[in-house]
Amino acid sequence: MADLEVKDLKCHYNTDTSVVPAVDGISLSLEAGEIVGVIGESGSGKTTLGLSIMRLLDGLASVSGTIVYKGTDITHLPEPEIDRIRWKDIAIVFQNNLDILNPVMTVGKQVVEPLLKHEEIPVREAQARCADLFRTVGLDPVWMDAYPHQLSGGMRQRVLLAMALSCDPKLLILDEVTSALDAFTRKEIRDLLIDLQKKNGYSMILISHDLSFVSSLASRMIVLYAGRVVESGPTVDIINAPRHPYTRGLVHSTPDIFVYKDLWGIPGESASEDGHAGCPFSRRCTQPIEICRTSPPRLQSCGDGREVACHRGGIATLLRADAVHFRYPLPGRKTLHAVNGVDMDVCEGEVLAIVGQTASGKSTLAHILAGILRPESGEVRFMDGAVHSGNNGHRFGGIQIVFQDPFSSTSNRFTVLDAVREPFDINRIGTAAERLDMTREALKLVRLPPTDEFLGKYCGALSGGQRQRVALARAMIMKPRLLIADEITSALDVSTAANVLRLLKGLQNRRGFAMIYISHDLSLTLKIADRIAVMDAGRIIEIGNAHEVMLHPRDDRTKRLIGTRVGHCCHDHKPVGMAGRLQTRVSDCGDE
Amino acid sequence: MPPYLRNAADRFTATVSKFSLEGKIGLCGIALIVMMAVFAPLLSAYPPGKITGGSLEPPGADHPLGTDELGMDIWSQICYGARMSLFIGLAVACIAGLGGGALGILAGYLGGAADQVVMRTVDVLMALPSFPLLVVISAFMGPSVFNVILILVLFSWAKPARIARSQTLSIKNNVYITAARNYGATPFYLLRRHILPEVLPILFVLIISITSYAIMAETGLAFLGLGDPTSKSWGMMLYYATNFRSIYFTPYWQWWLIPPLVALIVLLLCLAFIGRDLEQVLDPRMRQNRGG
Amino acid sequence: MNERDGQAIIFRFVVTLLVILALNFILPHMMPGDPFSTMASDVQSEDVIVMTEAQREYYFQYYGLDRPLPEQFFSYLANLARGDLGQSIYYKMPVAGVILLHLPWTILIVLAATAISTVVGVVLGIISARNRNKGSDRLMMTGLIAFAEIPSFLLGIILLLIFCVHLRLFPLAGAVTPFAHYTGVLDQIGDIAHHAFLPVLTLSLAQLTGVYLLTRNTLITVSTKDYIRTARAKGLGDHIVWSRHALRNALLPVVTRTGFVIGMLMGGAVLVETVFNYPGIGLTLRNAVVARDYPLIQGILLVVAVSILLCNLLADRLYQKLDPRVVE
Repeated sequence: MADLEVKDLKCHYNTDTSVVPAVDGISLSLEAGEIVGVIGESGSGKTTLGLSIMRLLDGLASVSGTIVYKGTDITHLPEPEIDRIRWKDIAIVFQNNLDILNPVMTVGKQVVEPLLKHEEIPVREAQARCADLFRTVGLDPVWMDAYPHQLSGGMRQRVLLAMALSCDPKLLILDEVTSALDAFTRKEIRDLLIDLQKKNGYSMILISHDLSFVSSLASRMIVLYAGRVVESGPTVDIINAPRHPYTRGLVHSTPDIFVYKDLWGIPGESASEDGHAGCPFSRRCTQPIEICRTSPPRLQSCGDGREVACHRGGIATLLRADAVHFRYPLPGRKTLHAVNGVDMDVCEGEVLAIVGQTASGKSTLAHILAGILRPESGEVRFMDGAVHSGNNGHRFGGIQIVFQDPFSSTSNRFTVLDAVREPFDINRIGTAAERLDMTREALKLVRLPPTDEFLGKYCGALSGGQRQRVALARAMIMKPRLLIADEITSALDVSTAANVLRLLKGLQNRRGFAMIYISHDLSLTLKIADRIAVMDAGRIIEIGNAHEVMLHPRDDRTKRLIGTRVGHCCHDHKPVGMAGRLQTRVSDCGDE
Repeated sequence: MPPYLRNAADRFTATVSKFSLEGKIGLCGIALIVMMAVFAPLLSAYPPGKITGGSLEPPGADHPLGTDELGMDIWSQICYGARMSLFIGLAVACIAGLGGGALGILAGYLGGAADQVVMRTVDVLMALPSFPLLVVISAFMGPSVFNVILILVLFSWAKPARIARSQTLSIKNNVYITAARNYGATPFYLLRRHILPEVLPILFVLIISITSYAIMAETGLAFLGLGDPTSKSWGMMLYYATNFRSIYFTPYWQWWLIPPLVALIVLLLCLAFIGRDLEQVLDPRMRQNRGG
Repeated sequence: MNERDGQAIIFRFVVTLLVILALNFILPHMMPGDPFSTMASDVQSEDVIVMTEAQREYYFQYYGLDRPLPEQFFSYLANLARGDLGQSIYYKMPVAGVILLHLPWTILIVLAATAISTVVGVVLGIISARNRNKGSDRLMMTGLIAFAEIPSFLLGIILLLIFCVHLRLFPLAGAVTPFAHYTGVLDQIGDIAHHAFLPVLTLSLAQLTGVYLLTRNTLITVSTKDYIRTARAKGLGDHIVWSRHALRNALLPVVTRTGFVIGMLMGGAVLVETVFNYPGIGLTLRNAVVARDYPLIQGILLVVAVSILLCNLLADRLYQKLDPRVVE
């Protein structure tokens, strides 16, 4: 039986004007000795969860649901009885701040206090125990006589830890213990926690917004958003393959997990109390459908001990290719098998990079996926229909493709206005005024001036980078769900390429569309890709998490591809150095 | 109505609508007392300083509240006394509140030596025991309305100065001030657009409380015999009544002592109610603290 | 400069003291005309004593009005240092003697009122904070705040009218029954308490609300602090959380306030003693004012001001001792 069992916990803060649901139906269970991480951004209800397990919310919030500790329902225990469980059985390490310890009592007294109360030992013995605890957490016992304001943040955190350990609790709740600490102290506290947990064997609930800290300790993780569990499961699986769009966003926002990739936060503000009935994440989600706005999703199992709360069953598949073949006829009745039985899929809101040498078939594949080429056999399905039913390119929310050569992707004779609004002209969408407005919007999106002067310019008069952005604007005007970018930076110089790439990723992040990014440049790809597919001779030889592919390539040809990178940081083929160099280069260029 | 006046009127109604019941009662009370002061000649049949009846007549048809020992009408003394109390209270509050506020803003804005001088003076003034000093200074300077106002102002400008300064300082530290300066804002502009709108509401609340304090202090001084003998304030009435030998053994206190006592308490309570509600409505910091 | 910095407190104390001394010295010079010749002229009360020629000469000499200002100031300071506050006109005895005669009564009622208002205020504040936003809290808030807005001497007059004039429960004047023959010490104490009751009650009521509000609001603020949650989490039990963690922090400002209260009460005593004809230093001041007994006025001011300053100083020092966050 689980040590701690929380069922359908709801905590609502009542303010003068409104009711704020801080925790909105959370369930979790904890085995003895287990470490569970609770992850969420500020306002996700994670601290409230910790406080409600300690029954510290009384009077502030209305709490419903049950909390069962070792078979006892502690939800409605009277205060004196809960006091016996507090600290003796369940202790909490609070987030460190100046007010967390009583300013007019020495820290030693405050650590001794619960010992006297729960262990009922003489003061002298309690003080000796306290000195031991101080040593355990790496503090000199002379600090017992200090007042809280005389200690540094790291030392106070250690005092709080010593205090929590004083009565040898069975369950330890750690609330944002590292958030106010510098990197060194953070690591020390983490190592200390690992040692102590091994020694004492208590179970822990780690509450934090710090994904890398939690993932380095916890075996299981629960991701909270707006007071609800959106995903739970084994830590490794969640980090490597998040199922919920929010978890994916969190992983992408954490620099320590994928060290090569640029950092992209989740767009939008976290859900506030402007209550609407649907899924709280729907407004920031990359894949909302109608039901997401009307009813909140339930947490459902999706195998391997994982659960996700999403009407679409987690991150949904947007495009799927099944056994796609394509051959080019060569002179002398020979054929080039450009695409040779490719199976792949693209998820909502993700960036999939397809890398490979020239003539590996990646561009052909891109054209097939976009519906420009028809595969000889096999099938490509986009959302629910086959790509070749033919209405993906000329409608909103479909597939758009941006081509490699900027100089041929728009006509020299076209003005910028003509070029960008061409899809509208072709499909007779909107009035002339509406088309003009949307064109201006699209130009703003790609950071081109939406002025009359620029709109009247001929594409032939533009630079390569500008023309590529005009092409991008033309794709964006159709608001695609999937954008295929086929080697769009290869014809550009390094600095322009960096700018276009950042622009593209920024657009993708804000708009939430999925993207297939095709490139032969592995280093550049790593900056933006969530997943990488490596192509060679018409086949996909390896596909997976960008990080995994990069660090642990399985196929020899992938290893060779990684080994081809040249540059003076790469002589030992350690990708970290490479990433560092690229980081400087790309970020120095800025957006423009 | 010109737009700025309508604006002010709108703000006034908006503020008042947030008042509690006590605040509204206070507002009505003050309105009544102000009317009493303004229309004193119409409300009372006799001039306050003229002997119009017998000595110590009980309330009757001729004299609604009776007469004092010299035969002067108590009701007209109350009406005219309202003028005195309100005048002294408001004069002191406006001079001390606005003057002290201006000094505080200046000190906070300029900083440096000017700030040090003002703040050290404020420190000392606030440490001084005000009422005994008031008594002694008025004793030496002689009883006159002007002196009473002067002395009260001297002792009440420190608080508005200190609060205005700390407000100005905290506003000045905001980045939007730096930004505005960067856009070429003049000190006058900063004062008008950023500092005054924040400081004035607080000063206004303080002015109410200083009014209250000044009326109280004036009454206290008069009660000790240090009021201006040429003007009959409510405090002076208390002084004459309580100094009448054996007043407590006669029924005279019922119409001589009670009216000014009640008038004063009503006035001070009304001011306090208004002050408290204003504080909650106008002061943004108080607004935030209300929930907590 | 930290407001609670030890040196700063002493510095402010010294400066304030000097200001009071200087004021006391300069005041007679600011009087319109010659203070001693006008004394007899604005007679409006039968208490005013017309000065004899000999007395006038004494004052010229005491104030040294014929000598240059700095010299006058130093001789004034020298006189003070010797404990010589001059000669009272009204009482025809040394000012210091007059003050010593009446000061104990004032100290008695001020200390009694301080003790009562602090204890009752703190207790009511605790009750109110623990029943926050319940009926008893709301009732106390409204009632006590309304009380606080009535100045103490007006409240005194009301109490006097009710208890002395109407109910005849307490004497109208004095600190002891004149010419009484006490049967024992208890009897004497009873008589003193009987006389002091209303003045003490008035002064206590005047300060009660301040202490009450301070205790209540600080307790409420403190009870939302994180360290209270920490203490609750430790399972220490309601009693220890309140007494050891909340109250100790909440009472710190009350301590400072107590010194301040004594100062306020010293000031308030002037008026309240006048109302009750209680022969403390306040009534003496009022009599001196009526009689235009300037040396006595000055002497009383000095004593009252210095005791108020000392109380504030002590309160600040005490606060430093109690709050470890204040660096010595």
